[in-house]
Amino acid sequence: MEELILKLKSEIIEALNLEEMSVDDIDSEAPLFIEGLGLDSIDALELTVLLEKKYALKIQTADEGKKILYSVKSMAEYISQNKK
Amino acid sequence: MTDIYIKGIGNISPQKTIDNSGFPDEVMEYPDAEYLKCIEPVYKKYIEPMASRRMSRVVKMGLYSAKTCLDEADIEKPDAIITGTGLGCVEDTEKFLTSIIQNEEKLLNPTPFIQSTHNTISAQISLFLKCHGYNYTYAHRGFSFESALLDSILMFNEKSANTILLGGVDEITENTYQITKRLGHWKRENINHLKLLEYKTKGSIAGEGSAFFLLTNQPDKANYAKISSVHAFYKPENSGIIKNEIISFLSKNNLRVEDIDVAILGLNGDKNFDEIYYKLTEEIFKNTVCAYFKHLCGEYHTASSFAMYTAANILKNQFVPDVIKFNNKPQRQYKNILIYNHYRNINHSLLLLQNA
Repeated sequence: MEELILKLKSEIIEALNLEEMSVDDIDSEAPLFIEGLGLDSIDALELTVLLEKKYALKIQTADEGKKILYSVKSMAEYISQNKK
Repeated sequence: MTDIYIKGIGNISPQKTIDNSGFPDEVMEYPDAEYLKCIEPVYKKYIEPMASRRMSRVVKMGLYSAKTCLDEADIEKPDAIITGTGLGCVEDTEKFLTSIIQNEEKLLNPTPFIQSTHNTISAQISLFLKCHGYNYTYAHRGFSFESALLDSILMFNEKSANTILLGGVDEITENTYQITKRLGHWKRENINHLKLLEYKTKGSIAGEGSAFFLLTNQPDKANYAKISSVHAFYKPENSGIIKNEIISFLSKNNLRVEDIDVAILGLNGDKNFDEIYYKLTEEIFKNTVCAYFKHLCGEYHTASSFAMYTAANILKNQFVPDVIKFNNKPQRQYKNILIYNHYRNINHSLLLLQNA
């Protein structure tokens, strides 16, 4: 899981162009939106595209998305449970 | 017509123009460059990293030069923001088109698509300033900056605004350069851009820039210049028509050719198009101080905004730098400057600037 979290953090930095950040700056359990990294709805779209492109996982509903994209840890858990 | 003045300028170009300390003394030379790219400032001064992460280079250049311009004019929020751009945010357009192809029209990243529109720059400026006034972007190829200026003049005349942020922005990318090179727009041989007029071959040198001007209807000794008139005309059939357009334009402004202290011409080194300018320098402008500028910034749709920056600095500092002189006619005072530019003999424009 730790390895996946680190990989995911790097992918998030790249996808969202967070040039000033390193993987150590992202708290795995902190909320990604509003608090924590302070991401917004466009970032949510980018993360949805990231999950589909890199892990072939499609978020089906907005409610599901809220839970999955809550933090890096919740994303990693979703990936490890559902990766084909 | 309402008097309109340039109160502030912010100009990012391939030259050191952004610090607003007058026309740069030091000329930047790019000996191996196929096209001229802007000198980019440190954007952090105005743009937070979390905001800049979604901005392409041209959006950042636009925002930074707009803010520099407003700071110089000491204006927090203009009444209107009007920009001109020939190709808009090309880099983002290329990104999302490439993404469409690579991903077989699926899974497109939203950011480049959102940011690729022509009005992204003026929209980002208005978001940054929280300016909810009139906001318009003209994308009329070689008339883009002129259209934005004309709209500004109309707004002042209608008394709809007291301050307007006017901009001309275009970027060059490797892809755009290669495509337009195949179309014969640029020189195929290696050149020194500072000697652009010596080659007498087909094509010019590509360039880019982001020039913003804070226009006001308030006279002030510190203003750069007065903008008196703008006129655009399309595909003139021959040089006689161009000459008549110039004479008629000056006449409408109660001037004769002899009253023009400096004629800034859009010479770009392309033998197919420069003949138009040479003819004017041999005829109606044979006794006029003539200057040119595209060897410093390159050719692009809104290059006349660089010419306006140049004219404003000549009028404010009463000095024509050697590097832009086309001829060596003596002149003591600079009151009336005419800019005549054309984009590939299609979009022709005349701008008249006078002492503030």
